[in-house]
Amino acid sequence: MKTRFLFPYWFRYLGLACFLVHIPVMLFFSQYHDMDNPQPGLFTNSHIFFIFTTLMVTVGLFLFAFSKEKVEDEQIMQLRRDSLQWAVYFNYVILIGVLIFTEHMEIRHILLLNMWTLLLFFILRFQWVIFKMNWSARKGD
Amino acid sequence: MKNNIRVERAIKNITQAELAEQVQVSRQTINTIESNKYVPSTILALKIGRVFGKPVEDIFVLEEGD
Repeated sequence: MKTRFLFPYWFRYLGLACFLVHIPVMLFFSQYHDMDNPQPGLFTNSHIFFIFTTLMVTVGLFLFAFSKEKVEDEQIMQLRRDSLQWAVYFNYVILIGVLIFTEHMEIRHILLLNMWTLLLFFILRFQWVIFKMNWSARKGD
Repeated sequence: MKNNIRVERAIKNITQAELAEQVQVSRQTINTIESNKYVPSTILALKIGRVFGKPVEDIFVLEEGD
């Protein structure tokens, strides 16, 4: 089946690698950076550190979310669309909840939350329905 | 919508995996179609009909309320 706008299957491992690489980087380098009082200005150490780790996570999640499955067929496409719709709903519920129930939350944190909840929830939901489908198919034999 | 793919497969003596390969979908998709959890597209329904050498109406049947 022809699918558009999806990365090849192996990109999921690239995505996973990006995500995993950021963890040691975060753990190791965060000791040297005062996260609460970052150096001001563009392209300072803290800025580059922030960009690098944030980008790593985002690109990692993005590649993982939008790479092809091993067998792409119309049902997978449908599950993907469903999951994407759920993820958008979920994301907006969270976002609106955050806007209502938190006072003066830093805009950067809201931005980060918004950037990751959509992808994370999409990945979790999509993988969960695929897992459930495979499970019932195995049981049905 | 109901279907009798399971019966047709038994007549033709092919497994879910073999049917899946012939119509280029995953085995799970055939499984969910057989258990009425997934409604295939027209293209896939026609392909399945072709594998069994029967018109689509003989394999897929509308139910009350469809």
